[in-house]
Amino acid sequence: MEVSLFHAALQGLLNLLHLKVFLAMLIGVSIGTFTAVAPQGLGMPLVYAILLPVVIRWEPVTGIALLIGASSVSAICAAYLPVLFGIPGGAGSQATVLDGYPMGKRGEARRALGASFMAGGMGCVIGTLTLLVALPAARPLIYLMGSPELFVVMLWGLSMVAVLAGRRPIKGLIAAAFGLLLATIGQQAQSGIMRFVFDQMYLLDGISISIIALALFGIPSALDLALTKLGVEQQAAPLKGSLLDGIKDTLREWWLVVRCSFVGVWIGIVPGLGSQVVDWLAYGHAAQTCKGARETFGKGDVRGVIAPESANDAKDGGDLITTLLLGFPQGVVTALFIVALLAWGFVPGPEMVKKNADLIYSIIWIQGISGIFGTLVGFVLAKQLAKLAEVRYTFMVPIIFIFVLMGAFSANRDPVDLLVVVSFGILGYFMRRFGYPRPAMILGLVLGDLMEKYLYRSMASYGFSWLTRPAVIVLLILATISFALTLRGRLKETR
Amino acid sequence: MTAHFTFFVVTVFAVATWVGWEWPYIAKLMPVYVAAIPGLLLALVQLYRDATDWEGRRRGEKDGGLDMDEVVTVRLDKRTEMRRTLVFFAWFIGGAMAIWLLGIVIALPLLALLYALVEGREKWPVSLLMAAATFLLIWGLFEYLLEMRWPAGALFG
Repeated sequence: MEVSLFHAALQGLLNLLHLKVFLAMLIGVSIGTFTAVAPQGLGMPLVYAILLPVVIRWEPVTGIALLIGASSVSAICAAYLPVLFGIPGGAGSQATVLDGYPMGKRGEARRALGASFMAGGMGCVIGTLTLLVALPAARPLIYLMGSPELFVVMLWGLSMVAVLAGRRPIKGLIAAAFGLLLATIGQQAQSGIMRFVFDQMYLLDGISISIIALALFGIPSALDLALTKLGVEQQAAPLKGSLLDGIKDTLREWWLVVRCSFVGVWIGIVPGLGSQVVDWLAYGHAAQTCKGARETFGKGDVRGVIAPESANDAKDGGDLITTLLLGFPQGVVTALFIVALLAWGFVPGPEMVKKNADLIYSIIWIQGISGIFGTLVGFVLAKQLAKLAEVRYTFMVPIIFIFVLMGAFSANRDPVDLLVVVSFGILGYFMRRFGYPRPAMILGLVLGDLMEKYLYRSMASYGFSWLTRPAVIVLLILATISFALTLRGRLKETR
Repeated sequence: MTAHFTFFVVTVFAVATWVGWEWPYIAKLMPVYVAAIPGLLLALVQLYRDATDWEGRRRGEKDGGLDMDEVVTVRLDKRTEMRRTLVFFAWFIGGAMAIWLLGIVIALPLLALLYALVEGREKWPVSLLMAAATFLLIWGLFEYLLEMRWPAGALFG
């Protein structure tokens, strides 16, 4: 039954007024903070893959509070590694190294961190507000979309991700096709045909996405730590300076924060553009528009920290707009979030907007509140959290092994789970080594079922005439043009 | 090596096309027509590029800037990188085999202990602490508190 959006927003907030939901959000914030600060082995995709088998057994709102609490915070606190070690903390904090590390080396690490937290917190709030406004604005359009339109949108988004995800577009498309293929393993819901099962009971329900995600992201990340021997061979910059100075800097540059936040939201909405792009675009924008940037950027200008960090956190709001309203994930984390929603019985996209608008508002409230909490945690525990960034690889690697193997084995408690996790761990290593982007594969895997469902419905309802629906034609033309332009641009870059 | 991996990908798509060809139309629409055949064609193009070192000839030129995948680039000499990679996978596969043979409750604490001691050269007390924490997590949290029984290893089963 449809309810007014105001009532849905109110119900969404009321959903959070339970102690266990609040506690789950705080636990999520803690996990996200730890993930952001710890060396790169524990990235958010791996954390989501570890949490997934656990949270899908919880009540939906409690599980969502944990997952969104973790992801909304991880970008806010991601500046420790760039500022203290001069290495990117994760996707979306590469540009922060350029000015954050010089600030750290000259004794202004706290100022850089303070600016990062404040900018991140403000960016998160702006991204959340945009998401709040997007729902009533987009709802009439969303109601017009049926199975054919959704299939085309997903195909468009997946192909854009594939083309943009790696250094060679063709490898991205291959990875996406491979993910789609993996998604078809098991018994097809529509016809009952066993596909690629090869008489193995284990494959009847397909391969668990959480095992694949754990192996694909966890193992190569742990390998990086083992190769670089992080924490032993690299030493941190001293934690000096004043957090308050960083806060004042950010408030003074509020207009830069707002502009870069909208850059972040836009990147989050557009299919295919991910965290890797957002900080560079925001940094580039700041470098072109800030006074005196030509002389000071890259040498420890605090604005070079504020710009990427605000965009990076606002991007989450944009991500959720496409994820929740269209059912299309923008990256691995939102893809795994969709897996969780599907496990709880919610289908993101128009169906969720019509039937579960209150849940969407719960997500929006959680996103905003946990962003504010994460900012406060960053300020209050700056010194303690900085120590976490120095955890040696000799602890991180076995921790990752434990979580990956335990997470994989807990899926079915079947020895074949171990074979699967080892196989996909090795596959993840080779994919990374030879330039086949793993996000494209995971997106193909997550979207495969949904795309097949929409395709089947389209064919069953309309035959091939669904291709002649006006909205489908418009979407196909837009998709073809943007795909061709993007591909041409990528090919020009690589020549 | 790159060509070998691409050949593996070509094989997967080719086998998928061949296996799925006999299915009814509605069953093979997605796996064969949307995924396997386009994937196979693209993989064949990539195989040609790898075989003729197409990317190597362009390595000096400006590369595509975007990369959604992780950005850590390890700068080690090839021999060290290969050795550390092999050692890493030996630990990982060994851990998986230990779970199968000994059961997860014994295998993972043992893995934590041995990795910290042998590979990490940590002191005994620290290594034992890690093993104990792992045991508490796997047995204490899952088996004792949540009553989720892990299966026994093949040697004890």
